[in-house]
Amino acid sequence: MRIVIPALHFQDHGGIGKENLSKSMSSRQKLEAQLTENNIVKEELALLDGSNVVFKLLGPVLVKQELGEARATVGKRLDYITAEIKRYESQLRDLEKQSEKQREALAQLQQEFQRAQAAKAGSLGKA
Amino acid sequence: MEAQPRPSLAAAASSTQPLRSEHVVRLREEQEKVVTGCQEKIQHWMKVERDYEALQERLTTLPDKLSYDIMVPFGPLAFMPGQLVNTNEVTVLLGDNWFCKCSAKQAVGLVEHRKKHVRKALDDLKKVMKNFESRVEFTEDLKRMSDAAGDIVDIREDIKNDIEVKGKHRTAHRPHSKPKTSDVFEADFIDDPKSEGSFLSEKELWARLDELERQEDLLGELDKKSDAVFVNGDDISSSEEEKEDQKTAVTVKHGVTDSPTQDSFQKDITDSKLLSGQVNGSSSYSDDDDDDDDDDDDDDDGLGVGDNCVPTIYFSHTVEPKRVRINTGKNTTLKFSEKKEEAKRKRKNSNGNSSHSIPELPNIRTPADVYRVFVDVVNGEYVPRKSILKSRSRENSVCSDTSESSAAELEDRRGVMRSLSHDEAACTDASEGILDQQENQQKKLLSLSGKLEAFSGTVIEKELLSPVIPHPGTVHPVLPTIPERKEFLSEVSEETTKRISKFKAARLQQRN
Repeated sequence: MRIVIPALHFQDHGGIGKENLSKSMSSRQKLEAQLTENNIVKEELALLDGSNVVFKLLGPVLVKQELGEARATVGKRLDYITAEIKRYESQLRDLEKQSEKQREALAQLQQEFQRAQAAKAGSLGKA
Repeated sequence: MEAQPRPSLAAAASSTQPLRSEHVVRLREEQEKVVTGCQEKIQHWMKVERDYEALQERLTTLPDKLSYDIMVPFGPLAFMPGQLVNTNEVTVLLGDNWFCKCSAKQAVGLVEHRKKHVRKALDDLKKVMKNFESRVEFTEDLKRMSDAAGDIVDIREDIKNDIEVKGKHRTAHRPHSKPKTSDVFEADFIDDPKSEGSFLSEKELWARLDELERQEDLLGELDKKSDAVFVNGDDISSSEEEKEDQKTAVTVKHGVTDSPTQDSFQKDITDSKLLSGQVNGSSSYSDDDDDDDDDDDDDDDGLGVGDNCVPTIYFSHTVEPKRVRINTGKNTTLKFSEKKEEAKRKRKNSNGNSSHSIPELPNIRTPADVYRVFVDVVNGEYVPRKSILKSRSRENSVCSDTSESSAAELEDRRGVMRSLSHDEAACTDASEGILDQQENQQKKLLSLSGKLEAFSGTVIEKELLSPVIPHPGTVHPVLPTIPERKEFLSEVSEETTKRISKFKAARLQQRN
């Protein structure tokens, strides 16, 4: 969330860019939670043996699944989640770079503005 | 001393302190938030663990009976009597919408596995808590420090800023030169006792010079603390700075230094330092510049606060050559100074061209320049001594020999110093930035150095000094070229101040 805070903070300057940044951040965090959960499921499935019946909850229905099938499914889900996280991370980095550029532009503009102000003040002072 | 600078520094510090305190307060708040968040999470996870343990217990007791009569919850508000059958069959939620039917024991195993995760999370949170607690402590300390020690920091910054600003002024002249205030001061001390003329006025001027030099030294020291070479010089300068602290006392001490000056130049220096030490209540100066340096630095730091309002800061210590003490054995220390080098170079150049001193005259801004000028003029008439304080043998060396053994040389040096002090003083004053002295001395120097007659005037001065000088062995008192030491400079300035009339006479002579 701390990362989100600075992203949101930049919204004053960047606007949409920052929002995307925050969105990416939040989705990435969700993915991380899913990652840990699925890891637990995988480990617990490993603890089970063939005598157990595995179900999958699809809506209100508990669908019977095979242990091996369940393990495979969970494994695939894990891979998918990790890939998603990587994608989101790259996306975040790009967004951060964009925000950095925006910040730099803003800073430069501010500097120019200050310089102009100083020059104005100086010219006024001299005059 | 500190009280005076404190208000000014406090003003500056206050500007920064509120920021610091604000920052620290904010940091503290943020850290507290994190700490409380961590605590909450820890509480949550502990509850989870307790729940899991209860669940485990239930799972172990559940298969005890084939079926249980229970009140089954029917919706959110109703219960229904019923039976709990298949007590060994447990449908366990594995996570992510995955279920599995397990026996009670398998379920217990699963629960145990989950508890592992919970415990892991708890440990991580506790570690975070510890880290943050330490950080909180640190920020609290920082807060306290900023509240209590902010002044100190600010003071230092102020000093540095002031010094840098002022030092930079001087560095423009000589980027690598270090104010030879120490040299000058020492010379002052040496000369003062010796020259029993009207020191009062000179002393006052010297006091002012000392102050300026001290501040410059402070600046120089702060700016060039990395220069190990300057250590000794720093010591001297620091001691001199301390001397500056109590100028009046120093001036008073001038007379006291009469006796010690006769020994060796170094002793004179130490004596002068001692005087300063006495003045400042620190008696560790004798041959212990380093110790004094530390003390002086501390004092200087404390005193530096006063530099803010002292115009003396404009002392161009950079103008003065570096003063380096090199132990060359046998209690000899070479004092290296860039000014001397430059003076030497110029002397060498000027030696070939005795009349070139004149063009230099207008540029005299430092004692070294004066020396150069003098050397030029002195060509032929006076022994072109590279440094007043040096022994003849070391004429060509950039360093000035401060060996105590060379008493005779010291004596000569003293004589030269005295005579030179006039010029040097003029130069130092000019270089040191004492506006009043500068103008007068520069003019005098220019007039003096412009012609040999000027030196003749100094010669005359030497004669006057002879009675004062215990060892008038120096036949070339006028050799201003000598040392680029600030001591001489100070002496010269003193002498110049003393001999303003003489210079005037010389000038008159020249004009006539």
